[in-house]
Amino acid sequence: MLIQILLPGLLLSGLYALIAIGFTMIFSVGRVLNLGYGAFIMFGGYIYYQSAQILGLGKVPSFVIATAAGVLLGLIVYVILIRKLKGDAIAIEISTLIFAIVTQAAIIVVFSPSPKSMWPLIPGVLRVGDVIVTYNLVVAAVTSWVVLAALFLFIGKTHIGRAIRAVSMDPKGAVISGIDPDRINLIIWGLSGGLGAMAGIFLATYTQLAPAMWVAPLIIAVAVVIVGGIGSILGGLVAAHVIGMLETITTTLIAAELRGVATMLLIILVLIIAPKGLFGKAEL
Amino acid sequence: MSYFTENKGFDTLSATSENRPQPMLEARGLTKSFGGLMATKNVSLHVNPGESLGIIGPNGAGKTTLLNLLTKEITPDQGSVFLNGNCIDRLSIHKRVLAGLARTYQVPRPFHDLTIQEHIRVGMMPDGLFDMLLHGADDEKELKIAESVGLGGERAQQYPYELAMGDLRRLELVRTLATEPSILLLDEVFAGLTVKEIDQISELLTNRRATHSTTYMIVSHDLKALEPLVDRVVVINFGEVMTEGTFREVVADTDVQNAYLGTGWEQE
Amino acid sequence: MFAKGTNKGFLGWMIFGIAMLALPLFASSATVRIFVFANYIAIFAISWDVLSGRTGYISFGHPFLIGIGGYTTALLTHHLDMPLYITIPAAVLVTMIAGTLFFLPALRIRGTYFALVTLAFMELMYGLVQVVAPDITGGTRGLTGLPSIVTGAVSNYYLSFGVMFTLGLAMWLLIRTRLGTALGSIGMNEEAVRACGLNTTKLKLFAFTLSAMIAGLGGAMYIHYLGSIAPRGLFDVSFLFTILVACLLGGAGTITGPIMGAFFLTLLLEFLRPYIPGSERYLIYGVATLVLYVLQPRGIHRLIQITVNWFVEGFMRRKST
Ligand SMILES: Nc1ncnc2c1ncn2[C@@H]1O[C@H](COP(=O)(O)OP(=O)(O)OP(=O)(O)O)[C@@H](O)[C@H]1O
Ligand SMILES: [Mg+2]
Repeated sequence: MLIQILLPGLLLSGLYALIAIGFTMIFSVGRVLNLGYGAFIMFGGYIYYQSAQILGLGKVPSFVIATAAGVLLGLIVYVILIRKLKGDAIAIEISTLIFAIVTQAAIIVVFSPSPKSMWPLIPGVLRVGDVIVTYNLVVAAVTSWVVLAALFLFIGKTHIGRAIRAVSMDPKGAVISGIDPDRINLIIWGLSGGLGAMAGIFLATYTQLAPAMWVAPLIIAVAVVIVGGIGSILGGLVAAHVIGMLETITTTLIAAELRGVATMLLIILVLIIAPKGLFGKAEL
Repeated sequence: MSYFTENKGFDTLSATSENRPQPMLEARGLTKSFGGLMATKNVSLHVNPGESLGIIGPNGAGKTTLLNLLTKEITPDQGSVFLNGNCIDRLSIHKRVLAGLARTYQVPRPFHDLTIQEHIRVGMMPDGLFDMLLHGADDEKELKIAESVGLGGERAQQYPYELAMGDLRRLELVRTLATEPSILLLDEVFAGLTVKEIDQISELLTNRRATHSTTYMIVSHDLKALEPLVDRVVVINFGEVMTEGTFREVVADTDVQNAYLGTGWEQE
Repeated sequence: MFAKGTNKGFLGWMIFGIAMLALPLFASSATVRIFVFANYIAIFAISWDVLSGRTGYISFGHPFLIGIGGYTTALLTHHLDMPLYITIPAAVLVTMIAGTLFFLPALRIRGTYFALVTLAFMELMYGLVQVVAPDITGGTRGLTGLPSIVTGAVSNYYLSFGVMFTLGLAMWLLIRTRLGTALGSIGMNEEAVRACGLNTTKLKLFAFTLSAMIAGLGGAMYIHYLGSIAPRGLFDVSFLFTILVACLLGGAGTITGPIMGAFFLTLLLEFLRPYIPGSERYLIYGVATLVLYVLQPRGIHRLIQITVNWFVEGFMRRKST
């Protein structure tokens, strides 16, 4: 019974961490919520689908193409929208939300409103005792851990990473020490777009591809950020696991339809009781 | 004033035993820390009715924090605030304003979409919602108040983005004056102003004092501008009251001079 | 009691009212039905604007309020056969209570966090309605065959227009009183409002309750017009999108702006239907809104103001020379 929850819970949490990371990054650096983040996820999923299943370009090239397309989309959104709104948080939130809905409409126009099922990245299932998990989810979780580890190294060890950290901690101070926050934000949005698209591929193979698929991951990302403490990537990682486990527990023990409900309740409770998140505001 | 909590007997005793007048505003042992940083440490001070008290101290000394504690913008970890001898610890910001304790901000906080006259309207706003709804604004009085700080006539229809720093400070001041404060806390009213603007504001404050006998507590870096305005000065350093006295006494104090050394205050 | 310039604006309202009253004389019943829809969107937009446009507390959960009103009256009529003159006031009352609860977090949090809590409330409701007691709420499929208040396109038009016009005018007058100024100043700098001696908690609570009242009334009437209710389409981001776009396109915080936005949105969507069927319209809309929002955040309302001023100034100049 325990392993039935722990194993899928752990894997799902890995996927959620991957979904949330790109969203958290933008928040911790620019102090704005990108409510269009779900669009990056959906975009990645659809590009992968087009490339791998319609054009037949193979899984690995398609993966790369979709991720690159996500980077591009992130950059475009930053340049044509975010930069123009000059850090007005509310304006950015409203307009990115509209952007997500525009993307949804565009997807419907191009791909039709009907959901599409995706081939798993790696077919087959893994049996551990009575527990069955798909290889697909295992791959998603492992990739997520690898990406997160790489990101930590990138932020901790590279020059750009240090600049990113500086901007996230103190934008004004960063400017004084010669860092251009606009450049850093551009990089972050590109990175976020790429990570979102990547997460989208895994999410779409885990569930399915549909024009409304951006809402659920956005809510998860929001939940992770809120529960983990705004702008704290480490807190976010913990929060992703709290939420992944919570969902697995509610879906296996209570009712499958309650998946989102538990997460919503958690968000509301945390926001009301401890607006700074369960883990406070830590550094990046 | 039903929202005052009852004064404890011994407090009144100690005040009278020293045979000094009942202070208008009094802080007792105000302490506030932000994480590890003690922004104010056990600060006690008072302002007598009709008096003008200057607060000086180097950057980051805790002056703004002290004002924030007095108005309950932030809640102290320890200590109490008394207004006319009554403990007002439980009064929220707006109730303190209604009780006559008002302030201005170091960085002006205008309403970006309201005209100068409308700022005054907000300052004069009654407490009850129905009152706000049913009774229109007193156009004449609003303009008269605007006039009193030199922002009357056509200027009263200007928006904050059209104003220079000196006018923004005056806007901030007039909005606060519209609440009819009996004691006014001013945070760096002279910062970022030209000499001429400083003179104008200074004159304004002096006139107001003559006509309304308003009590002041003025935080400023600009000692030259402060000198003619204050009866007494309290020096704050590292969150603590360092010394107090008349302006001359305080600037002659070697400790004060040392505290300021190297912080660049002389040039300002 | 009201700010200057109210009389001039009043004239605009009268012209608008007369034109709308006369509309069914000229328009086909299909067109009239489109206008009914526009009226309801306008009511929802007014509700949003009273709260978010004024106080700056952005609600992403307005469909939640509308849905509470809708479900209350739907359940009461469907299961208990109660008459509409009881169920609709009941719906308004329940929404006001829910709205107050809904907004309690706003006493502690604001900005982004507030917007997110409201969004979470909407999503929570979407999940709960389907799972909890689906035999009562109708679950995912919802409830159908709900009674209508009046029948026929024209009657529904006059009903919805009457309510919209009354609420719109009342709110427009409200924002022109001192209370309106106070509410608006909260959206500009809440601390400064408190430092002016105003009880912002009381003011916000008022705005929340008022907004919820309008949303509840509009929601209840709307579902009786439709005759059915379901979680999809109600607790839904695209519904939120419609309300937000109407307000932003029109110009938030002005009441008249969101009404214009609602009409512009609904009419253009409908009139474009023969030429561009399907979702392209939403695509065009979203893009148009984004572009307009980035270029002129104050929307159509401001554009009209600029145009009118331009004409008036030109006219004056010609007169003086
Ligand atoms: N909300 C806060 N959180 C954390 N630290 C704070 C906060 N407010 C003030 N501080 C710190 O408390 C100390 C005192 O700040 P304060 O603004 O009161 O100084 P000040 O005397 O007004 O300085 P200045 O002359 O620059 O206005 C400073 O070190 C400041 O960084
Ligand atoms: Mg200060």
